[in-house]
This record gives sequence, C-alpha cells and structure tokens, in this order.
Amino acid sequence: MSALECAMKLSREEVLEQIKTSGLKEYGLEKELLSERLVRAVEESKEEEKELGVVAALNNADTTGVLLEVLLADPQKVMEGIAIAAYALGTEKKVLYLPEYAADKEAAVKEAAEQAGVEVIVGLVNVRACKGSALLHIVTAADLADTFAGCCEDGVYVSVNGGELKKVSAETKVSELTEDAAGAKGFCIGYEYYGPEAAEMTLEEVHPDNGVIRVLKASDCIVSETEKALLASRKQSCGKCVFCREGLLQLQYMQKETTEGRGKAEFLDLTKEIGEAMTYSTPCTMGQVSSKIALSAVEKFESEFTAHIKKKKCPAGVCFSEEVIYIDPKLCQGCGECADVCPKDCIEGKAKYIHMIDEFDCDQCGKCIEACDAGAIIKTSGKVPKLPNRLTKVGRFKR
Amino acid sequence: MAVITIDGTRLEVPENKNVLECALDAGIYIPHLCHHKDLSPLGSCRMCVVEVEGQEGATTSCTLKAKDGMVIHTKTPELEKLRMLALELLLTGHPEDCSTCPKYGNCELQTLIQYIGPKTGRLKMRTKGFRPQEDNPLILHDMNRCVLCGRCVRACNELRGVKVLQYQKKEMETYVGTLHNKLLKDADCRFCGACVEVCPTGTIRDKLMNSEVKKEEAVVPCRHACPAHTDVPRYIRHVKNGEFDAAAAVIREKVPFPKALGYICNHVCELECKRKEVSEAMSIRNIKRYAADHDTGSYWKGKGKQLADTGKKVCVVGAGPAGLTAAYYLRKQGHDVTLKEALPTVGGMMAYGIPSYRLPREIIAEEAKVIEEQGVKIEVNTKVEKPAELLKEYDAVLMTIGGHKGVRLPMEGSELDGVILNADFLRNASMGNETGIGKRIIVLGGGNVAFDCARTAKRLGAEEIHLACLEARDVMTADEEEITQAQEEGIFVHPAQTFERITGEDHVTGVDFMNVKSFTFDENRRAIIEKEEGSEHHIDADTVIFAVGQRPDITEEAGLELGRGNSIVVKDMEKDKTTSVEGIFAAGDVIYGTKSVIMAIESGREAASQIDKYLGGDGDISEKLAPEQNADPYIGQCPGFGYEERKEPQIDEAEKRQDNFNLFDHGICDSDICAEAGRCLQCDLRLQISGPRLWGDFTENKEA
Repeated sequence: MSALECAMKLSREEVLEQIKTSGLKEYGLEKELLSERLVRAVEESKEEEKELGVVAALNNADTTGVLLEVLLADPQKVMEGIAIAAYALGTEKKVLYLPEYAADKEAAVKEAAEQAGVEVIVGLVNVRACKGSALLHIVTAADLADTFAGCCEDGVYVSVNGGELKKVSAETKVSELTEDAAGAKGFCIGYEYYGPEAAEMTLEEVHPDNGVIRVLKASDCIVSETEKALLASRKQSCGKCVFCREGLLQLQYMQKETTEGRGKAEFLDLTKEIGEAMTYSTPCTMGQVSSKIALSAVEKFESEFTAHIKKKKCPAGVCFSEEVIYIDPKLCQGCGECADVCPKDCIEGKAKYIHMIDEFDCDQCGKCIEACDAGAIIKTSGKVPKLPNRLTKVGRFKR
Repeated sequence: MAVITIDGTRLEVPENKNVLECALDAGIYIPHLCHHKDLSPLGSCRMCVVEVEGQEGATTSCTLKAKDGMVIHTKTPELEKLRMLALELLLTGHPEDCSTCPKYGNCELQTLIQYIGPKTGRLKMRTKGFRPQEDNPLILHDMNRCVLCGRCVRACNELRGVKVLQYQKKEMETYVGTLHNKLLKDADCRFCGACVEVCPTGTIRDKLMNSEVKKEEAVVPCRHACPAHTDVPRYIRHVKNGEFDAAAAVIREKVPFPKALGYICNHVCELECKRKEVSEAMSIRNIKRYAADHDTGSYWKGKGKQLADTGKKVCVVGAGPAGLTAAYYLRKQGHDVTLKEALPTVGGMMAYGIPSYRLPREIIAEEAKVIEEQGVKIEVNTKVEKPAELLKEYDAVLMTIGGHKGVRLPMEGSELDGVILNADFLRNASMGNETGIGKRIIVLGGGNVAFDCARTAKRLGAEEIHLACLEARDVMTADEEEITQAQEEGIFVHPAQTFERITGEDHVTGVDFMNVKSFTFDENRRAIIEKEEGSEHHIDADTVIFAVGQRPDITEEAGLELGRGNSIVVKDMEKDKTTSVEGIFAAGDVIYGTKSVIMAIESGREAASQIDKYLGGDGDISEKLAPEQNADPYIGQCPGFGYEERKEPQIDEAEKRQDNFNLFDHGICDSDICAEAGRCLQCDLRLQISGPRLWGDFTENKEA
C-alpha cells in the first residue's frame, strides 16, 4: 500500500495529528515542525484571502540541484508527500517547482505528477504569489511520504566533493564523511564557508541545506570561489527585489575586481554591509542565502581577501600568477606607445627615454605588450634584470 | 479597529490595513517607491521599512498589517541606514544625470533622492544599455531608467488584467517588457496608459501629451476637443454595454441635440482620438448617432433640471443651434424665454444650410419639440430689426442670428446673371423654392458648404457640376468623406485654382481659372499665391455658386457694434458675450463667423450661463441625467485589439443617392456597433488611478 493510500484511510484530522506526533521537520532553511507550518499556511490563506495549497520546491538559492536526486530517484514518493500534505490541509492545489536548469527533468516526473494531481512549474518560486500555501522542501515531501509508509529515517542528505548523495545521521561529523577533511583549508557547506574547525562539527551544526559539502584545499581560492558562486546566484535570481538584484551584482563585482587585482580596502566592509542587509531585506532564499556565501567568506577567510587586495597575491595561486611585466631597457626605443595604451596609467617615460612600469599599480592586463613594436615589454615569472630607477635616455642605461 | 502607534502618534485604524497606508492617510510620511495605493503591496524596494517594537529587524510597512497595540518606528538610525543603502543600490543601475530626463521635476525617484540623500560614489554604477523603444504608438519605453519597482507590471496584470507587461531577463539584467520583446500592439496591449500613470520614473512615458492643458484634458483628448466637452468615453462605454438610454443621457448632459449631432457633427473629437495612433480613430459621431437613435429617453424625458420661475423675461433672436440651446438652458434656469425666428421653422443652418440628405428635417423638429416642451415660446416668421427695442419688454436679449448671407467675391463678372450665393441657394433648396440654377454649375469654394451646394445642385437635376477652390487637394477644408462622396456622384473637383474672372456678357458663360503653384501665408497671415504661368483655362457654365463664406445678415441700423466679417462685437468670445448694448448678448456664428453646430451649442450654453447670472441666477446650467457609471478598470485581454479597424457606416451607392434628398448614410449597423464601441482605449480610466504621494505634500516636511 502506498503512503498516500495509507494516509487517505485516515481522516484529515488524523493525518495532521500523525504529522504532529512524527515530529517531522521542514527540511528547508526554516527547520520548524511541519505540523506547525501547515497550520500557519491555513492561517495565512485566511488572512491573505488566497487559495490554500501545497508548494514543493528546492530553495530558490540552490544553484547546484544536488537534492533533486531525491525527486528523480522516486518521483512518486515526492508527489505522494505533496498529496498527503494537501489532503491534510483539505486543498486540491498542489504544485511542484523545478528550477530552470532542471527543465529537462520535467518529463521524468510528469507521470507521477499527473497521477497525484500535482502541477509542475519550471522556474523560481514566487514567494509572494505563494502566500497562503505551505511551502515545503522537496525532501520534506519525500520524508512525509516515508512517514506514512512507515519507513522514514531521520538524517541529512549530503554529497561530498561531488560524490554520491546519501542520507546520513545528523550526528555525523564532517570529518567522518571524508578523509580529506584532515588538513583541509576549510569547507563550503550548504551556502556557507567554514574554517578547518568545521571538520569536527556535526551535520546538525553546519546545515548542508543544499546537500553539498566541499572540502577546500590549499589550491582553492576563496575569493574566486565566492565570485563564481555569486555569479551563479545572479544568473538564477529573478531580479525583482532591489537587494537581491543589485546587492548580488555589487557583491559579485567586488569579488571579481579582487580576483583581478583591482580590489579595494573598503570592499570588505562594503561586502559585510550589503551582505548583512541582504540577508534580512529579501523575501526568499535567493537573497537571504546567497549573501551568506560572501559574508561567511570574508568572515572566515579575511586574510585571503586582504592578501588579494593589499599584496596583490592569491595565496592559492589561482587568481594572478606571480608573473610581472617589465620593459627591457636595452630594447626600449622610447616611443611611448605603451604608456598611451596603459589603462592604469602606470607606465612612466617620455619620448626617447626608457619607459618604466610601476609594478604596484600594474594589473598585468598585457595591453602594453601588444602595443610595443620593439618587443621590449616582457612578461615573466622568472628573474627580472636590473631596471633603471629613474628616467634614462635610450641607450644610456648601464647595468 | 486597531490602535497602533507610529512615531509616537496614536492612530485608530482598521485591523489588518497596511501600515504604510495608515501612516500616509494620517499625514505621516514614510518613503516608498514600489508601493502604489491602487496596487497590491510588493515590498521589493525596501524604502518603506519600519521597526515594530517586539519584532526583530526591519520590515516593509507596505506589507505589514496593522494589529492592535502595534508600536511602530519609522525613523531610527538603523532604518535610515538601510533606506540609504537600498536607494544607493537602486541607483546603481539608473542614469546619474537627472537633468536630461523628460520626467525631471515630476519624478518620484528624484524626490526620494532629495529626501533620503543616499551616499554616492561607493558602488559600481552601470548603464543597462537597453535601446529606448520608440516604435510603439502612444507609449515610450526607456528601460535604462527603470528601477524595477514593478508598478507597471502590477497595473497591467492586476488592475487591468491585460497582462502584457512582465518581468523579463536578458543575460543577468532584469527588465520589464513584453514576451519576446514584441511591440505592444502585437502583444495585444490595450493602450490604456495605466503603466504610464503609475511609473514613478521617466521609464514609461506618454509619447504625445499636450502639456499646455490640464492633465485630465490631455489624458482624455476627445472630451477636451469637443467644444461642449461631452463625456465621450463614458457614453461609448454605455453603448458598448448596450445601455443606449444611459449613453444618450450622458450626451444630453451637455448638448440638447444628440441626434442631429449624431448625423452632422464635424467630430473634432475624432481628430484627437488617441485610438488613431494605434489603428484608426474611434467612430465617435456614429456611436453617438446610434445611441441617440436608440434612445427611449428613460433617463431624461420629463427629468433633469427645471428651476422655479424667476419672473425674468429673455428674448432669444434666431433659432439656430446656438439660440435653441441658450433658450433651452435659460428656460431650465427658470426664466421666461421667447425665441424669435425669421424663417418659417426653427433650426437655423441645421434646417436651411445643411441639406436634408445629411440631416432629415424630422430630427430637427423632434429635438426642437423637447425645447418647446420645456416651456420655451417659439415665434417663427418673426424678423427682429431693432434688438434694442426688445429690452422694453425683456430683461435680456440674446442675438443668435448666425450667418445667413453669402459672400460675393469682388471679381470680374461676379454681378452677372446666373451668379448665386451659397446661403441663398441652400435656403431656397431647403424650402423647396426656385433656386435659379441652370444645367452646368461651377461651385467656387472648397469647404463643406461648397460640397453641400454642389451635391444639392446634383440632386436638383444639374447635368454637369464643377467645384473649384484655391486650396490644394490635401488641405481642402471639407471633410474627406464629403469630397470622395461628391466625386462618386460625378462632381468634378478642381483643387488649387485661382478664380480669374466669371465670363459672360449679361449671363454667366463660365469661369476662367489658373493653376496655383504655391499658396502660403506670410507672417501677417496674408495669402501669397503663386500662379503657374500659362495655365489659364476655362470651364463652361451657366451658373456660378459662390461658396466662399457667409456673414451675419445684419447692418449698423440694428444698433449694435459690428466688427470683422460683419460680426456682432462681444467683449470676449468665450467669457463675456455682452454686446455694445447693455442687456443684449450675442452667441454662435454671429460673433465668430461660420463654424460648427457643436461650437454653436457651446456658445449658446456659455451665453445661457452668463445671462442667468446677469438675471440674478448662479449661472450653473449643469445637470446630471445619466446614471452613475462604475467603469470597470479590469478591462481584460483582447487578442488583436490594436489591429481592430474602424467600423464603417452603411452608405447608399452613388446611383441610388444622387438624384434625391433621402438620407443615404445609415450609420453603423446593429451588429457592428458594440465592436466599434469596444475599440475605445478608455483613456478616462487612467484618471481613476491615485496620484503619487510625495514627501513635499506632507505638512511635517513642509515646515521643516
């Protein structure tokens, strides 16, 4: 007998009661009791005069889609979970959202959805339009079905370093999941960065809300990782709310600038200011959680950011290599072409004098190399010859 | 009810009302941008954040529901910081320079910047790089200025149900637009203008907007263009709903001849109709005609205003549209009104100028009867030579004698036998008198009256009819349909001609013409005509009809000061219709020259109001006849709306109409009328939308 059939044998009240006694919690960010969440939806639907319903989805902020595996492994189970919640609420409105990147998975869940009378929509959850509905994580729906089938096991879904998704006890420590944990620089767990100390934390404490744990190695640059994660969030954001749309843009821009050697000292404070404001100024997880990526990164790995900004160094060796660009004093003709094209205005020189690059301001864009007909501008990670330290006429420089 | 406290002010408000509205209604300003009174709360801009005691963090007041005992703060340092940051972020994607924006000075965002004073220079600014969309009729889009408040999207979807504007995303830039960036017309936009109305910035704007008139007038140009300001969108809406009595009552609130106007109004409203920018103008006159034709009078017959008798006596001289109108409204104000008409029936130019094939005489009689039944005493065949003498018997006199004397151009041959004048000809034809025309006619003139002459001559049996005028074809003053219909009836139209001379010894033998090369006016408005050399040509004729204007049939002997074109001089054409003699007023064509029936009606209304005041009344001649109309703002979707074509009236073929005076234009048919009325953009709905509430409007800020 399927979970839904088991539930349907009971009255609505009995189903609600059973959900309550099961102590099942919402799997999404707000870990409240599912029974309470359902009751709240009823109240909200009355207050807002909106149709009562059940909406299941991933977090809007989830750009990985790892937890979709729960749905794809057993679409019928998730649909039944949705249907049980809807039965408990006494509504026919049942919706499942698939993120846009998983649009191709619609066909795979279609049959199960039709059987359970669940409407499948591709796109982000519009939390404003969903007022009056109980918003459930897809995993919650699966757990609910398991509860009524009598086979629900407590646990947390994790996939470590892109490995297989498995359900493990919430008491499991991060270090127990992977051997790489020892000696790691840190971790990216869910939507947050953690330092190496997280190895000894339990899954209960670290909340891998999207099911993802990544162990960060010395060769992983936090700034670059953060920038990529923010860019993915920007691409996914619907862009309707100011803080999410513009905040993510600014956060991503600052990390991008930092990775390219144009970081500014004030970026750290600005990242904190915008990130903190975003967390509680956006109505859905898209803004609330995406900002945590940046916030936790600057909090836990401030020194990496500072190294990028102040020393123009990437500790992981990812962002800018150790290469420098210099002008060979023997080859320079003093034509000035390089100074003209330099966007940072860091090439000093005048006609017929040997030109010099101010290394501090140079961001190694390489435009001067292309501009130099004499082939005098050289990029190297090797040894740099002795260079003039003041303006010297072409041909007059001596080692 | 709930008692809430906002910044120390205790307010009693309905439970669950949104706190932002509670504050604004109570005169407490909270900055807001995405919120609009008529739209559902969104809470995306974060300008209206407040703190509630006992709750953590800031929350948007537009989405916050008032609960009893709530204590709310709107101005804490944390809130101001958040608000500044929100606005700072909002502005990163908005052009920095306000001074080049067409919305400068009327922009809600600009006032917010002034109020909040966000930090500048810290964040990355960007230009969104959208191409301003100027290919749509009526509405301009410049998404570079958009701050994504989403008001237009909500207005289009929730308020109107049209669902054309949606959030779209291109790469990582969110913007508002149609699906696949279709042109509005192809996306089935209904051009109601709600999006323009609610846009707080210069993003969605009116393409054409007459900035010289009041906003309501510019938004609903048909109503403004109508000299009598008939409420066009309101009666069109009634017609669409099949409520013809109500529609006719709306028209009757402003004019006493809905039916006659339905047949012959020069419909200046249609020239201004915004629908013409989308496809073709509304057929406003024919909609009016349909309503008037199907009116049973349930809303106005025996109803409407009739004030108690005042004991004052007014004599109106001349029973044309101006005189009839003035007499009607003066009677309604309680005065004893006598209308004296020189000709055997009332109607003025409606009866003696406009041919009966355009306006059947029964209609004039029917509508004049309403005026008579209101208590106006009508004396026909009574010509008044000395208006001042009437003042012995009457407290006021109104001269509405129109312009019934044709103009004879002072040119060679103009006094020959066979030369007749428009006014005489049309009057004689109307009365069934001998008109004196022969078989070959030349009409000189290019206005509607000239065509009335030519087409009347046709119907009287003339064999060959030519019409010549100075103006080029495209600037002839006659209506386009008059010209084409005349041509269909076999009348030869010769535009751009100079009239050199009328030939003949003692009787007309024809007219010499030359072609006009160019016809312009100099800075003193004098005509400059350049003729084409060697283009002299001759058209044979035995009759020439001058149709080059009419003048009032009055001389100095009447005792009134006369001015240009023999018109009676009044102090101010619109505002003060007092003539040179105290107690005598004048209105209609006699003061401003030949215009239109609707102009005459309005002039008559103005005169009635002024005379009522002169006689001690309040001058308020307005009346309410039509039932209250609750125009539904939710207009819904209508596929193909923009492409819907104007429904044409049924017109008899030339062979069937050209030899008789029967009505040949039968208006729009029953099966088309609802669709035609449904084409209306309903521009007036926009006026229902609440205006912005800016900080400068709030007293606490004014004092500051």
